[in-house]
Amino acid sequence: MHLGGKTHRVKADVAIIGGGTAGLNTAMAAAECGASVLIVDKAHIQRSGAIAGGIDHFMAFMETGESWDTREAYLAYVGKVARGAANLRIHEKVLCDELPAAMARIEKMGISLRQEDGSYLRTQALGQPGPYSINFNGQRLKPAMALEVKRRKCRVLNRVQVTKLCLHEGEMAGFCGYDMRNGDFYEIQAKATVIATGNTNRMFKSQTGNPFNLWYCPANTGDLHRAAFDAGVELANVEYVRMTIVPKGFSAPGFNAFFGMGGKLVNGLGVPFMTDYHPQGDAAPRNVMVWAALTETKAGRGPIYVDVRHLSASDLAHLFSTLGIDKDTLPEFLMAKGYAREGAMIELTVSEPMQARPSEQCGSGIKIDEACASNVPGLFAAGDASDQMGCLHMCVAGGFYAGKQAAKYARARNRLLPLKAKELRQERLRVFAPMQRQNGLAPGEFENVVRIITTDHFGPIKNETSLKAGIAKLDALNSYRDELAAGDLHTLMRCHEAVNIHAVAKIVAETSLARTESRFSPYHHRSDFPESSDDWCGLVVARREGDNGVATRFETLLYDA
Amino acid sequence: MSAVIDKARCNGCELCALYCPLDVIYMEDGVAVVRYPDECWYCGACRQECARDAVSFKFTPAMLGI
Ligand SMILES: Cc1cc2nc3c(=O)[nH]c(=O)nc-3n(C[C@H](O)[C@H](O)[C@H](O)COP(=O)(O)OP(=O)(O)OC[C@H]3O[C@@H](n4cnc5c(N)ncnc54)[C@H](O)[C@@H]3O)c2cc1C
Repeated sequence: MHLGGKTHRVKADVAIIGGGTAGLNTAMAAAECGASVLIVDKAHIQRSGAIAGGIDHFMAFMETGESWDTREAYLAYVGKVARGAANLRIHEKVLCDELPAAMARIEKMGISLRQEDGSYLRTQALGQPGPYSINFNGQRLKPAMALEVKRRKCRVLNRVQVTKLCLHEGEMAGFCGYDMRNGDFYEIQAKATVIATGNTNRMFKSQTGNPFNLWYCPANTGDLHRAAFDAGVELANVEYVRMTIVPKGFSAPGFNAFFGMGGKLVNGLGVPFMTDYHPQGDAAPRNVMVWAALTETKAGRGPIYVDVRHLSASDLAHLFSTLGIDKDTLPEFLMAKGYAREGAMIELTVSEPMQARPSEQCGSGIKIDEACASNVPGLFAAGDASDQMGCLHMCVAGGFYAGKQAAKYARARNRLLPLKAKELRQERLRVFAPMQRQNGLAPGEFENVVRIITTDHFGPIKNETSLKAGIAKLDALNSYRDELAAGDLHTLMRCHEAVNIHAVAKIVAETSLARTESRFSPYHHRSDFPESSDDWCGLVVARREGDNGVATRFETLLYDA
Repeated sequence: MSAVIDKARCNGCELCALYCPLDVIYMEDGVAVVRYPDECWYCGACRQECARDAVSFKFTPAMLGI
């Protein structure tokens, strides 16, 4: 029976929760500004988070003289594909102003964004007006970034799961967590804190039934969405559930590569269908592709395939190698399924839904302003965990920008705020409570029930009745949280993840209920309000109300065109 | 099923256990063992870090069969 090990008190100017793509860039910036920096990650920063195994596309405008390749054209694209979710004023700060430096930083770390001959290989998909996606080999990008933060003398706590934020008179004072390998308890004080813990996964049923067979990183379970929400932090864009199109049997990325290289989505009759749904056909925005795939299947024209038989031998060779850069094990999976490298019709399906951004050009989570600050002074957010950033380009560029802002805040504040001893004691008891219980509920079982409810009631299509009934079922699960039991520290982590997934699911449902229109269908599709409405062009902002309530308000977003 | 570690090849360097983003690999008796195979994400980080070529991947019947 574990009551937790030793207690450690650690202090920093800027503390970053989540050392993934965004968090490590945040750390680099804060260190460059002269701050003492601490990174806390529940995995190991060498290989943690979304790009643990690799990544292969970097989106950018490059001012090459083409009309689509300018900052203005790019912003117009964002305003179109992320309308009602992306705040363009924030986008200019976190992406446009930072983009050239972000690309130079990646290359300085020894990861080339170019081909061997020095040129850029750029492809077009996802509703882009031109080829914005630079193909590159990012298999070692995460280790390179981990090395860079060490070079900049940032301190790192690996395998520490953060469980709670601590406030002092309404301002961020610090946070706590535990080491899942030895049970030690960490109390961290920081002048500024940045949350960069990604999105929430394992929230909906997956295609094979295994909740870890997912497109996005199953270690990101909304831990800090829940902790921040409990601390009074506002969230936005969380009514959207994101999905993509993945190989049947294996929820792996590949969408951008397949369609960027000219693959065609065809139905079970062998007929390409994307032009029936969008003028850009297979280069349509992701949500339109998913909607089309769902519609074809529902109409009895499934299964769906990507046809790559018409690609040239060199394009096919590039396609298979880039698939293996984004997901190391995907090419051998396709071979094991019997697909040939010479080109094939590869069976695809719609992936599991997840709590994440409705477009590549925005985020979903902690609501940030133009300085990446949340509504709680001293608390910032970056990357997929924020409501305005997502994807590699924004996590690298915007992560860095958030680090500069946090360092500036820390410098101005100039002192650490106290942590409350009673609150820390209570949290320690809460954290280790599942280890005191015998014959309790396994976290996997609790999580499974959550997934059945979410999938039945809003995964993804929903209406007022399904949402209200789903919320009632999620609420009825509350009492089971106190029955979760863990026999070891690894399972303890899974217990906390299960509780966090459950809490975020409720916020997703409540915000979905508030938005009485449809947007980015099927990511937010209300069958009782199937059309988009200009009245809803903006953010549904959620905030905790009482013990178990979710209050929402609406914030309009304005676009020039 | 998941990442599979060849005990005969593993030299006990611990890198896979240290870095696995899902915390599924642990050291047992000086060699790396996939202790929570159902929680593997198939990201391939362990294989990329392994200098001894000791890691391979096995896909489940559900992944290959559906
Ligand atoms: C397989 C894959 C391929 C992709 N390919 C592309 C691509 O080619 N181009 C592109 O633009 N985008 C791509 N994306 C998206 C892009 O990788 C992500 O948007 C981006 O990397 C997210 O960065 P992040 O820092 O927000 O989250 P992550 O990099 O996932 O980092 C989150 C970190 O938080 C840690 N964490 C979570 N909870 C806690 C906790 N409680 N306490 C402490 N730490 C915690 C995690 O361990 C992790 O290290 C891909 C995503 C995936 C999954």
